[in-house]
Amino acid sequence: MSREGTIEDYRSRLLRVLEYIQDHLDQPLTPGELAEVAHFSPFHFQRIFRGMVHESVMGHIRRLRLERAAIHLKSEGESVTDIAFGAGFEVLETFSRAFRAHFACSPSEFRKRHRPIRFPEAQSSIHFGEPDALQDLWTEGGDMETLDVEIRKIPAKRVAYVRHVGPYQECGKAWETLCSWMGSQGLMRPGMEMMGLSYDDPDITDPERLRYDACASVDVDFEPEGSVGKKTVRGGDHAIYRHRGPYEKLSESYRRLYGEWLPQSGREAADAPCVEVYYNDPDSTPPDELETDILLPLQ
Amino acid sequence: MTQAIKLDLTKFYKPEYSAPKKPTLLHIGWGEYLQIAGKGAPGSESYIEKIGALYAAAYTMKFASKEAGKDFVVCKLECLSWGPGGDASDLAECPMEDWSWELMIRMPDFISSRDLSSATKKIQGKGDTPGIEALRVVGREQDDCIQMLHVGPYDQEGSTLESMRDFASREGLSPHGPHHEIYLSDPRRVEAARLKTILRMYVTGASSP
Repeated sequence: MSREGTIEDYRSRLLRVLEYIQDHLDQPLTPGELAEVAHFSPFHFQRIFRGMVHESVMGHIRRLRLERAAIHLKSEGESVTDIAFGAGFEVLETFSRAFRAHFACSPSEFRKRHRPIRFPEAQSSIHFGEPDALQDLWTEGGDMETLDVEIRKIPAKRVAYVRHVGPYQECGKAWETLCSWMGSQGLMRPGMEMMGLSYDDPDITDPERLRYDACASVDVDFEPEGSVGKKTVRGGDHAIYRHRGPYEKLSESYRRLYGEWLPQSGREAADAPCVEVYYNDPDSTPPDELETDILLPLQ
Repeated sequence: MTQAIKLDLTKFYKPEYSAPKKPTLLHIGWGEYLQIAGKGAPGSESYIEKIGALYAAAYTMKFASKEAGKDFVVCKLECLSWGPGGDASDLAECPMEDWSWELMIRMPDFISSRDLSSATKKIQGKGDTPGIEALRVVGREQDDCIQMLHVGPYDQEGSTLESMRDFASREGLSPHGPHHEIYLSDPRRVEAARLKTILRMYVTGASSP
């Protein structure tokens, strides 16, 4: 498919999702279900959405539900509690707090006001019940500064790994467990590569539930032991983007890779998580000089 | 639980590992190094192989030491090089194939040859690892030197060395001994123009402080 073709394709698939969301706000919507609507891999859908719409998918749904609630408040009949429930809130207080945070007044004050409804600005500029705005999504795509991305075929790699669940900043413990074990087994051998597999998008997933595998490539066979597992990191075509700087800013690079590069690449993400390859020892390298490759698996 | 302190020698000996962009005179004291010697052009297959062996052993020892309650930061790679004359004076003229060098990584003084032999045994046990048997833990006293930061490709060190030589003659110092480089950047990842390298020129004639 041509590059223009994929931009159109990604755009029309996202529009399908955005319309689906607007039509199903009174149902519990999950990222998995929405990925299916748009035929995106569940591994990458949330990051593609975030990259192209400039808002997380769950944040988008929540905001639209509040906007829809605002419209319902203006029409007589429905009680505030019913509206809160319809907006997906089980407790009235939680609804009131969220509503106030967004519209800067309580739901009942909002109902009494004699003013036309104005939605607070949103980064995506997509609002409830405004199909015209929907069509404008991503028309500015062509002007974006091109990211320096290389597509390369990577061989599959056998790795030893330790799973970390929790905030990314705390993954150091998994690395220590892995490296101590590798050292004790004589597996810290020349050419060893240090890699990270992240399964979740930190923009969306609760930090306590983020899954991350600290992996080190091993060129000989070995037996897994205790919390150290053995697996193969998928080979094949990958889009490779070099992130320069602190690990805390990796999510910025992910956003650009998914939001700017992928839609115009002519390629489709494969059903596997992204791989980070670390080239420095953070103990002896200043954060600004850290070099990390982000590998996005492609079909 | 108290957090064990991680020893970072580059911070402990800060003046030795943070060079400004102008020549400075300093005395480098005694230090212990994990070291491997070789001959030939830097960047050759055997050179790269030896760097691999050096890091494999350095990190294996680091994590064994950490297990034993003495953690340390693995320092940056250093290289001493000299020509057939035995010092740095003929490096620029002779072909790189005639260069001799020692690659090394500074180690805390609690690391001994015994730690090295236990590390190399573990690594060798998992498969052939070229160069690993040639590693040594050595102590060295390095004397007075002029130190300066070079930013850019290795083959453009000439102008930096020129300022160091000018400084030496102004101060009445005579260069001697090998050329010393400390690699702050990884040449495989960082573009040549941004490579940071500390250069050391050993000198005689400095008045004792």
